[in-house]
Amino acid sequence: MKVLYAEDERQLSVAVTEILKMEGFDVTPVYDGEEALNALNHDYYDAAVLDIMMPKMDGIEVLETMRRDGNHIPVLMLTAKATVDDRITGLSTGADDYLAKPFSMKELVARLQSLMRRNNDYRHSVVKYANIELDSQSCELRSDKGSLRLNNPEAELLSYLVHHVGRSFSAKEINDEVWSGQESPEKAELYLYYLKNKLRQIHADIGVQIEDDIFTLKEE
Amino acid sequence: MKQEDLQFYGKFMPKLEEIQTILMREIQAMLDSISTDSETALAEHIKCRIKSADSLCEKLRRLDLEENAVCALQNLSDIVGARMITHFVGDIYTVLELIENNDHWKVVTVKDYIANAKSNGYRSLHVLLNLPFGIGGIDTINVEIQLRTIAMDCWASLEHQLKYKKNIRNTALIVDELKRCADEMASTDLSMQTIRELIQKG
Repeated sequence: MKVLYAEDERQLSVAVTEILKMEGFDVTPVYDGEEALNALNHDYYDAAVLDIMMPKMDGIEVLETMRRDGNHIPVLMLTAKATVDDRITGLSTGADDYLAKPFSMKELVARLQSLMRRNNDYRHSVVKYANIELDSQSCELRSDKGSLRLNNPEAELLSYLVHHVGRSFSAKEINDEVWSGQESPEKAELYLYYLKNKLRQIHADIGVQIEDDIFTLKEE
Repeated sequence: MKQEDLQFYGKFMPKLEEIQTILMREIQAMLDSISTDSETALAEHIKCRIKSADSLCEKLRRLDLEENAVCALQNLSDIVGARMITHFVGDIYTVLELIENNDHWKVVTVKDYIANAKSNGYRSLHVLLNLPFGIGGIDTINVEIQLRTIAMDCWASLEHQLKYKKNIRNTALIVDELKRCADEMASTDLSMQTIRELIQKG
């Protein structure tokens, strides 16, 4: 589990980094807000721990920017000023939890673990677009006019396409991007045809359009 | 019956047709003893056929046997066959019980490809019966009854097309996908069976 830890107090950073590593986290320490944002833009993290008071860019700004950029990983804010206002600002900007300094290492570890657990639950999500909804856990595909059960690869494929509505793909790109190349372009093609029929069956307002072996999910 | 089938079976044809008619009648009588109401009927439909000369010869060749009617009658068990399609899995076993308790024939073997599905996903129950009718130098003839649900039948007809169609693109993928469909249909068949039992229990 990769954690980004932004903290300008070097001594504290070293101590916390050590302890989190001992607890099995893969920690990347950074020392100011700009560095934090840079790291978040260039690498994937499972969670971020952000100090509010940091040079160059404070924790709240980092949080605002990353959320605006569509990064929704869990964020825990550290605040020296344990004022109610600070906590509220953090939470309302999109932090998932906060911890007031000085904090106990055990509590930090426990809160981080709890955040990760909750984030796993969030993966049970409902993807919505146009008149369709896809429940990622039950794989139920619904519209206002009908419903169907998809299998897992179909659900993964549809969820991916919904997040890239209007973009055109070849079957190979689908296999590479949705299934990390683990299946085959032929299977991707077949599954796109399955989805085309299934979306039509529930009278979805969007459909898989196929032209010269190029596939696009778009509004019908 | 096609001309080539009439030619192949020759003088045995009338007898085979008679056996087919009797088999059909026996099965229908057996089912009617339980219910004649179409709502609760055990069978959705029943089909009976005399194996075509084409596929019979193919089988004889495969078994390295002479390609003639007498040889077929003496060695093969599915020249006359019936297929019964049910709505639910449970009905198949109800019918099996009726077949086993019927003294118009002897049950030779029961192959349960529902409990033990074939590796490609094929599911059906095959019952081999011995009927007291002599033909072509044998005293009693073996016939086969296949029992399956509508879902299993639908699957088998698609799989059959795969088997006899050459040059299909991505055969391996299609085989995998058919297997998945078979398993999903089997699962849905069982869900429906379970729901039916719950409804009937009230």
